[in-house]
Amino acid sequence: MGVVRRRSGSFVLKVNPILCDGFGHCHELAPELVDVDEWGYPIVVSEPVPLSNSGLLQSARYAVRGCPRQALSIERSNDTVKPQ
Amino acid sequence: MIAFTNTYLWYTTRATGIVALLLLTLVVVLGALVSNRIGGTFVGRFELNELHRSVSMVAMLFLFMHILTTVVDSYVSTGIISAFVPMTSAYKTIPIAIGAVGFDLLLSVWISSLLKVRIKNESWRFIHWFSWLAYTSAIVHAYMAGTDTHDEAGLLVVAGCAGLVLIVALWRYFARPERAAGRTALSPLPRAKTIPQRIDSPPRSAPTVKPRRR
Repeated sequence: MGVVRRRSGSFVLKVNPILCDGFGHCHELAPELVDVDEWGYPIVVSEPVPLSNSGLLQSARYAVRGCPRQALSIERSNDTVKPQ
Repeated sequence: MIAFTNTYLWYTTRATGIVALLLLTLVVVLGALVSNRIGGTFVGRFELNELHRSVSMVAMLFLFMHILTTVVDSYVSTGIISAFVPMTSAYKTIPIAIGAVGFDLLLSVWISSLLKVRIKNESWRFIHWFSWLAYTSAIVHAYMAGTDTHDEAGLLVVAGCAGLVLIVALWRYFARPERAAGRTALSPLPRAKTIPQRIDSPPRSAPTVKPRRR
């Protein structure tokens, strides 16, 4: 959601398990990033995704926006590039 | 205040009132469908949610037109204050007071939804419960203040909307699914695409994650 501007580096889609109620919207909106277990709770890809992958980034943004419980967030992982 | 009245202004008030009521009914029904985890097979749960959000915008637009044409029309002595503050309209004091209460509640629900990413989700949910009260006051306002809601067609619309939402409210309460209602079947990708990491797998280089700006 508008946090990520620079194309270098990578992001991780984070789920807050306390807020999550298993609506499953994230799985429908970003099936490449989110699988659900048999009860409907999300299993999110834990590896950082490069920001240059704009398709996945857009999917992640849709998932964040579509979550009825605001349980998702896109977080920068700073393991590759340090900001100046 | 300059006297400004036009037959079509009053007709617009009546027509947009009915349309706003129908749209609000649709919004309530869609919201209940999302809450009770309907969808996932032939229609996506996220699609119902998006529809709920979009139709609510259209409903608010019609409600603004309904209020604006009433305020502008000087045939009824209802000012802009009466749209927000109850009991300030000389014309049909009680019915318009109920409408004003419903409008205030709808405004708070709307603004809290616009601020959804900024406020706590619990606060948003608490405010969102008041949409049931707002809808009830909309029905009462439509029946009491409506020019067209006492004869056959208009009465049928109001009674039909009220009955439908009553059934939906009962279904929403008594048919609540579990906290998580299972997998949805809509996903175009097979589930093997993402493999969850095993807990006992060797630790990979953990990225240092910067928390998202709130």
